[in-house]
Amino acid sequence: MAQLELRDIRKTYAGALDETLKGINIDIASGEFLTLVGPSGCGKSTLMNSIAGLETITGGSIVVDGKDISGMEPKDRDIAMVFQSYALYPTMSVRENIAFGLKIRGMPKEEIRQEVERVADLLQISPLLDKKPSRLSGGQQQRVAMGRALARRPKIYLFDEPLSNLDAKLRVEMRTEIKKLHQRLRTTIVYVTHDQIEAMTLADRIAVLKDGELQQLGTPKEVYDTPENLFVASFMGSPCMSFIGVTVEQSEAGLSMTVEGSDGRTLTLPVPEYLESWAGKQVVLGIRPEHVSQPDEHKRNNPMVAEGRFTVEVTEPTGPDVLAIIRLNDIDVQCRLDAEHPVEWGEEAELMFDMRKVVFFDPESEKRIRP
Amino acid sequence: MTDVVRTGFRPSRIAIYGVLLLACLVYLIPLIIMLITSFKTPMDIRTGNLLAMPTDWTVMGWTKAWSEACTGVQCEGVRGFFWNSFKMTVPAVLISTLLGAFNGYVLSKWKFKGSDLMFGMLLFGCFVPFQVVLLPMAATLGKLGLANTTTGLVLVHVIYGVAFTTLFFRNYYVAIPDALIKAARLDGAGFFTIFFRILLPLSTPIFMVSLIWQFTQIWNDFLFGVVFASGDSQPITVALNNLVNTSTGVKEYNVDMAAAMIAALPTLVVYIVAGKYFIRGLTAGSVKG
Repeated sequence: MAQLELRDIRKTYAGALDETLKGINIDIASGEFLTLVGPSGCGKSTLMNSIAGLETITGGSIVVDGKDISGMEPKDRDIAMVFQSYALYPTMSVRENIAFGLKIRGMPKEEIRQEVERVADLLQISPLLDKKPSRLSGGQQQRVAMGRALARRPKIYLFDEPLSNLDAKLRVEMRTEIKKLHQRLRTTIVYVTHDQIEAMTLADRIAVLKDGELQQLGTPKEVYDTPENLFVASFMGSPCMSFIGVTVEQSEAGLSMTVEGSDGRTLTLPVPEYLESWAGKQVVLGIRPEHVSQPDEHKRNNPMVAEGRFTVEVTEPTGPDVLAIIRLNDIDVQCRLDAEHPVEWGEEAELMFDMRKVVFFDPESEKRIRP
Repeated sequence: MTDVVRTGFRPSRIAIYGVLLLACLVYLIPLIIMLITSFKTPMDIRTGNLLAMPTDWTVMGWTKAWSEACTGVQCEGVRGFFWNSFKMTVPAVLISTLLGAFNGYVLSKWKFKGSDLMFGMLLFGCFVPFQVVLLPMAATLGKLGLANTTTGLVLVHVIYGVAFTTLFFRNYYVAIPDALIKAARLDGAGFFTIFFRILLPLSTPIFMVSLIWQFTQIWNDFLFGVVFASGDSQPITVALNNLVNTSTGVKEYNVDMAAAMIAALPTLVVYIVAGKYFIRGLTAGSVKG
């Protein structure tokens, strides 16, 4: 368990024109679970390899418990990594795979045996210890890969998209298991994924990366509710947030904005006070599916709630609820409707807009307009 | 009759098998003639048909070829030269294969600036004809004091073989996932530990390919043997040539054939023992992991 500081990490690959990492600053507390999330090519794997020492950084420093490890060899960093491809040694049995790192570090045989058994118990792979990796299923290989990392009791664990080779059901199971494991062991974990649900469910904090730059660092709730910019807002959340271009209007009753449905009918929506300086200007309204729903009696008296009738273009039942698409200002907007009160496509539906949690962005800088 | 598809009796099948059998026969006839001739008596050879079976089976030709036949001035058979060949081939094969494995490891898993260029240049070595290097090599061996020795021949074959073995191993190792090396590095394994504990155990198929290839090349080589070795250090290919060209009266075809068979046997044995790996190693490069 250790505290990890990434200070202004920069990386330019030999022969490349652009920087792959453009100065990343993250402080990871001891025992914290941090996920690095971002689209392919955002530099998250490069950052992870840099922490492990498999890549050399071209600027900045990596500090573990106050000690700069940037120039150290991977083996001296006391960091373990779980790979996407598991990277189990094919010629060795599960037992040998787990023991390999311990043997190389010269741990006495008896201690190795105990450690292998402890890890095997922890991950419930004891019956597999004498099998070769090629005889195991994907999920079992995944466990062994985690066992190999756990056996050394390193200071920091790195997970490089460990679940992306598993099928959907197993992925959810292993996700829960990793979370349980972390809650039990309280180890410092850096977890790379491109799956935003994995990032949300597992993390204490999420770091969203794009093009080698840190877009936002915060708790899952912060990242979800108050995304720093349009990119973070569109990347986090499934189904995705909808973005509508609107003009803020100032009237005697206060601030408002008008949206137009596909049939030409308009609805005036309330706008929070903090947009006062934007009166008369264009902003981007970011609205999540759960902000548009069927009318709810309890909310009706709230000044930040508005109701209107809209034509439903498409419905997608997901089980617990139905996703409906309506068009506002010529943009598809997803709404999360109650599955118990189904709406058919082409029908009109009475919808309630809860404007308390919507976010607004500056269309120029694409940054969120802060209250 | 039921309407089972009778693949076995259709004319097209018969034609296919017929052609295959014929091809087999054409390919095997030289070997068959050599084998049966080597067991014939000289009298049998003079009077009988080339393809006829021996009337009296005898191993006289084999024993004479092994220990009595004249190869130039001495008449001690090919025995000594057979062992010469082994003394040359075994170290040369092992050294060139190990060097190739090591080169392949470095060129695929520890890439450095210019490593691809270096690999390309090394490949060039596969296309350099033997004749081109004869004179410079002779001069080099002379300077090293290795002229006319088995050690010198081993050196020549190692140098020549490394280009091929490096190619084999490099291409095999390229298909092995880099994550394996990364995992081992994080586990604390160094450059050599990774090579000996992780990669070499995975290398059996390509090892076999390299062994067979190098063994066949080096054992069968005549040119380097005749140029860089003399007298007692000559390999069997050279001795076989001398034996066949040394005529004292009647040509003893049975002895010639037996000597040729003796010269060819080791490569045959290597093929039979390791052949299945050869096919496997050439077709499958990747490792399931």
